Amino acid sequence: MSRKIVRIAGRRLSLSNLGKDLYASYGFTKAHILEYYRRMAKFILPHLKDRALTLKRYPDGVEKDFFFEKRCPSHRPAWVKTAEVRRDDEERITVCLVNDLESLIWVENLASLELHVPLARADSPETPDSMVFDLDPGDQANILNCARVALILRDLLSDMQLASYVKTSGKKGLHVYVPLNRKETTFEATKKFSKAVAEIVQKNYPDLVTAKMAKDYRKAKVFINWSQNDASKTMICVYSLRAGEKPTVSFPLEWKELDNSTGEGNPEKLQITHSEAVSRAEKKGDLFRGVIVKKQKLPYLEEYF
Amino acid sequence: MTLQTIWSGTISFSLVAIPVQLVKAVETGRVSFRMLHSKDYSPLVRRMLCPEDDTIVPPDEIIRGYEIGPGKYIVITDEELESVSPERSRTIEIIEFIDMKEVDAIYYDHPYYLVPSKGGEKAYRLLVEVMRRTNKAGLAKFVLGEREYLVAVKSTEEGLALITLHYSEEILSDKDILPKDDKVEAEEKNRMKKIIKKMITDFDPEKYADGRRKKIVDLLKKKMKEKALVEAPEVEEVEGAGPADLVAALKESMRRVKKNR
Repeated sequence: MSRKIVRIAGRRLSLSNLGKDLYASYGFTKAHILEYYRRMAKFILPHLKDRALTLKRYPDGVEKDFFFEKRCPSHRPAWVKTAEVRRDDEERITVCLVNDLESLIWVENLASLELHVPLARADSPETPDSMVFDLDPGDQANILNCARVALILRDLLSDMQLASYVKTSGKKGLHVYVPLNRKETTFEATKKFSKAVAEIVQKNYPDLVTAKMAKDYRKAKVFINWSQNDASKTMICVYSLRAGEKPTVSFPLEWKELDNSTGEGNPEKLQITHSEAVSRAEKKGDLFRGVIVKKQKLPYLEEYF
Repeated sequence: MTLQTIWSGTISFSLVAIPVQLVKAVETGRVSFRMLHSKDYSPLVRRMLCPEDDTIVPPDEIIRGYEIGPGKYIVITDEELESVSPERSRTIEIIEFIDMKEVDAIYYDHPYYLVPSKGGEKAYRLLVEVMRRTNKAGLAKFVLGEREYLVAVKSTEEGLALITLHYSEEILSDKDILPKDDKVEAEEKNRMKKIIKKMITDFDPEKYADGRRKKIVDLLKKKMKEKALVEAPEVEEVEGAGPADLVAALKESMRRVKKNR
């Protein structure tokens, strides 16, 4: 096994198998992956900060087996920050927090191409910072169908005085986020609210949206998955790579890109790959910043003093 | 009690910790009305309008400004406001016990009840009894929402109440209200004392009621019987998801969204 010792922020890190092709048909090696995350660190770190990371590791590349790892590997360096969290079965486990560049590079050296995080921070696991709508297209639908649904959601939420943000899933779908960032928010509230929103959109646009989760029923429709608004669920972190044929990224889009896209019919235009992600982020900055700083209150649900 | 919990945590002082829930103690008797459009009875909503270009401003373009002079503002961001807000806390930490009689009613802000949570019943009962016997109230600092409140925890007939108090800096001075000078003659004083004495009775709040509210309720009942109802335009049904208000608001929003698409 080839190893290379590097120093990041004074920390010594031993990187392995840098030449290994993890996206075999595309020619994207572990060195490319580390370089991607190094350049994107300043954009992705604020979104990973203090969240219990779920690693999705592809030790032999995207075409081979992967495994999820919720526990922070015990062979971690002492400087990797961790938190204790309670799982559904009440068992307490130690998770990794990726709060700095060296931890990010260490995690990527484990071939954890995809970084999944909960909607809440580790120290307040019952307080979601945002509400999410995971738009999942059926077999015959694509990201453009999702874009139409996302725009309906944006308009509906905006009419209720709620700003929303959109990112690609990096696969076929889109994720719409509503920042809340209030200590009073509960998953019970985000679940109720998102469910009510999903149902009214489905009722009013039955040709576009299905209420059925089962793939067979979806076909050319989009499923609005509101059930991600749960303490036990995770979402792919914005700016994370996705494991697929190409190194695509879960990347924020401007709403006007969706406004412009729905008529044109080229779903590929909305798919952001690693190099475009880097150049866009460096040019436009973090379009998803509002998701972690903007404070909003869900009307009709959150109790006020 | 089945009142909705506003907050839950513990009352604590010294080695005592009693799990409690905060619930409403009053419900104002105001009859509230929805604003409707007279043409089609659609319920109306508020929007933020920019007078400069006469457009409706979306929520993500709204920021806070503190006015320091005509047309001059200091912009305060969410982060800045956050940085000066107190940390949310799960305790009502009693710092001292006082005699409630010393607290002038001017300081009373808003009353709540404290209800014992599971496991705290015994300690709760003990605190209620001792406070009632000694006529003392606990003074505490308490963070709720984004503010830190000074509160008094006192016993009531059946349990504990929490009353948020105004800070002394919020109380406006009453000096200069009393007209200066002029001796009051003893005779006059005695006469007034007598009049007041004649009118003294026990406080019985049930003797009094909001007359206007009663008349409004009667009027509503009468109109209900006469079936003097109007109906808002139909919006598509959603099966029982979420609280009724939310669903109703979503329907209204959906209708507007569809109209504008």
